[in-house]
Amino acid sequence: MSMGVPEIEDAKLLFIFGYNGADSHPIVARRIVKAKQKGAKLIVVDPRITESARIADMHLQLKGGSNMALVQAMANVIIAEGLADQKFIEDHTNGYEEYKEFVKKYTPEYAEPICHVPAEQIREAARAYAKAESSMILYGMGVCQFAQAVDVVKGLASLALLTGNFGGPNMGIGPVRGQNNVQGACDMGALPNCYSGYQSVTDDAVREKFEKAWGVKLSNKVGIPLTHVPHRVLEEKDEKKKIHAYYIFGEDPAQSDPDLNEIRETLEKLDFVVMQDIFMNKTGLQADVILPSTAWGEHDGIYSACDRGFARIRKAIEPKGDVKTDWEIISLISTAMGYPMHYNNTKEIWDEMRSLTPSFFGATYEKLEALGSIQWPCRDESMEDKGTPYLFTGGKFSHPDGRGKFFATEWRPPCEVESPEYPYSLSTVREVGHYSVRTMTGNCRALANLEDEPGWIQMSPEDCEKLNVKEGDLIKVYSKRGSLITRVLPTERVRPGATYMTYQWWIGACNELTTPYLDPVSNTPESKYCAINLEKIDDQAWAEQYVKDSYESIRKNMGIDTAKKEV
Amino acid sequence: MNYFVKGNPDLCIGCRTCMIGCVVAHEGTKIFQMKPGEYVFNPKLDVVKTATITIPVQCKHCENPACMNACPVKAIEVVDNTVIIAQDKCIGCKTCMIACPYGAIDMVKASDGGKQQDGSDRIIANKCDLCNGIEGGPACVRVCPTASLKLITEEAVETSASNKRTAAAISLSQVKE
Amino acid sequence: MGKQVLTTCPYCGAGCQLYLNVEDGQIVSATPADGRTNQGNLCLKGHYGWDYLNDPQILTKRLTKPMIRKNGVLEEVEWDEAISYTAERLSEIKAKYGPDSIMGTGSARGPGNEANFVMQKFMRAAIGTNNVDHCARV
Repeated sequence: MSMGVPEIEDAKLLFIFGYNGADSHPIVARRIVKAKQKGAKLIVVDPRITESARIADMHLQLKGGSNMALVQAMANVIIAEGLADQKFIEDHTNGYEEYKEFVKKYTPEYAEPICHVPAEQIREAARAYAKAESSMILYGMGVCQFAQAVDVVKGLASLALLTGNFGGPNMGIGPVRGQNNVQGACDMGALPNCYSGYQSVTDDAVREKFEKAWGVKLSNKVGIPLTHVPHRVLEEKDEKKKIHAYYIFGEDPAQSDPDLNEIRETLEKLDFVVMQDIFMNKTGLQADVILPSTAWGEHDGIYSACDRGFARIRKAIEPKGDVKTDWEIISLISTAMGYPMHYNNTKEIWDEMRSLTPSFFGATYEKLEALGSIQWPCRDESMEDKGTPYLFTGGKFSHPDGRGKFFATEWRPPCEVESPEYPYSLSTVREVGHYSVRTMTGNCRALANLEDEPGWIQMSPEDCEKLNVKEGDLIKVYSKRGSLITRVLPTERVRPGATYMTYQWWIGACNELTTPYLDPVSNTPESKYCAINLEKIDDQAWAEQYVKDSYESIRKNMGIDTAKKEV
Repeated sequence: MNYFVKGNPDLCIGCRTCMIGCVVAHEGTKIFQMKPGEYVFNPKLDVVKTATITIPVQCKHCENPACMNACPVKAIEVVDNTVIIAQDKCIGCKTCMIACPYGAIDMVKASDGGKQQDGSDRIIANKCDLCNGIEGGPACVRVCPTASLKLITEEAVETSASNKRTAAAISLSQVKE
Repeated sequence: MGKQVLTTCPYCGAGCQLYLNVEDGQIVSATPADGRTNQGNLCLKGHYGWDYLNDPQILTKRLTKPMIRKNGVLEEVEWDEAISYTAERLSEIKAKYGPDSIMGTGSARGPGNEANFVMQKFMRAAIGTNNVDHCARV
């Protein structure tokens, strides 16, 4: 995020795009509510009536998969009505003329049939966004999990450039990142193209610095993204280009990734799969080696929050069982492979990382101890450098010339759309009380009591009536790739024809249905759109028993002695 | 005046932290050491979502409670400005559940693990008791991350009414005849 | 006597600060702390999401011992064996097909930044590939 979480409540206008804070980050949603209480205008773009949409001044209930058209229609209005910030554009940006030319065609009337949002509503939203004293964009997976994702992100950034909403407090553009430490994994260089601090592996000077520090020659070839693994295993003919071994650490692709059938086949075909985790999971069932590690609460370290804030995690209890910290396990394997690595604690690792990463260099353990949280960049070790609440101060951007670049391109529809055989769309969403693949929260008593298998499919009351199903009924959901059973949740918050499932469930595992289509730049799958069909189950007693049996069999597979207790 | 918890739908984000807070307050943190299934999970409030509203619904602690008047065994009484169901007296007849105009009462397995003579679970009426006897007052109010829930006491009502009267007086004074 | 340990919530990216209340070596509850982002508030996951550490075995079971698949079945082994077996197999594959035939992941979840730094260093320096990524994309 270019801004900090606390700033959200002081924006004069919040433009919330494909982001449902109430379910994915309740404590961020709290700031949205506070902003509204403080008088901010709220504009929400979402195909569902989310909690933010419910209290919004304006809700643009667009059709899923039409983001790009809407974003560019807003730009069209801002330019056509003379609401653009010409001075900011002149002083701080590049590419305005081409941009202006491109979005000409995206009139609100052109976007209306694509987005299913009235042209006048698009105009009003664009005016409000452009005219507010400080407008902040928050976006989420409703932008990122489409095959056209990066385009939309750049499109949203262009709206902020167009209106000068960068470089000051309470403005900018905020991708509110889902997982607790997804920002941290990126910050630390768990990415195929960069080391820690986003230093490129193809930059010779950078690479030489790391080579010197690590005493070894490093590859200058960008690695492959996670979502390319199935292809590189199943379809690559050249043995040398094929992926043969997969070291999976703290993730469960056999639950979290799209098109689970394909993932299972991939894991099956691999020569060697290492799984390092805290709980047995679906990936573990196909692993060759399982390395048990300590969990949050049992080890020290640092996380990065979605707004670039480093903060400490601390060991509270001793782990039970014969487990080791993740970094110790990896170091031992490395040493056994002839590249010795040894650390006594996380601070030693952090200090090595800092010494190689200028933008994080100032964020010492000592400083974190004193301040609690530091938002990077933080370059200086002295206490004066307390980090950076918001980026691009004074409109200076990270491009070499310090200017922001406008971006526009044609809207593309989702890769798989509704058809006569699969007449409904499905989007994956979040369950507020559960997290990610559910190995943690699914093993928390109270959270499991609140919501448990097989999960729900959110459907419009009209569709429920059409299919003659009611709340709580078990229903069969299927796509070209797979099928599952889940419960019906009628809600007025979704439009007819559109359905939504939370992706935490193992029986109602919506990734059995989703498509593996990727955004060409980010390689993020299109989890927010695929075509499905629904089938009423007449024998509900059979279906209930099926769910019960499936749960028992999952638990048994996961190593639980199921004879001991009932669910 | 009986007290009650009032929710504000402009602040509620529907996260249901209140529902778990309620269970933990009543059953105690010991549930986190117990086997799942060996304790009861009976929230005394329920988050309701419509197209335009999100808010937890719970007992209003009426001044003339329909539930209390309907109870054939006098298991419902007013204690400390709170309408309370005496678990040990409840016979599970469901009359109060039907009588309640707010749908704030449901029937659940007794949390003390009590059994009937034939060994089956005792089923009793369950509703908000404003965390009577629990330190810190209503747990839902305490855990709500957006401060959308408030305990409305006689004092709070009087202050609010008095403030409204003051505001009314000021606005009336501005009306020129 | 119990202690309070200040830490960051392991769920979502809001970075909420909380205290874990520990008695007799066991976590008994969590209390919100006055963090930069959460100002003394937590959601249901922050309040009640530490419970998996007690391993109640609702969905899955905590892993407590290294395992190696032998004749198709996962068998518990000692750490020495698990480490040397993993190192051998990875070295073998690296020798046969080259470093780019191995893929590794970071973790966007519980392990923390230091473990991710060590993982990418391992993939880059020990294996010799930039094939490292994590589930940010999914």
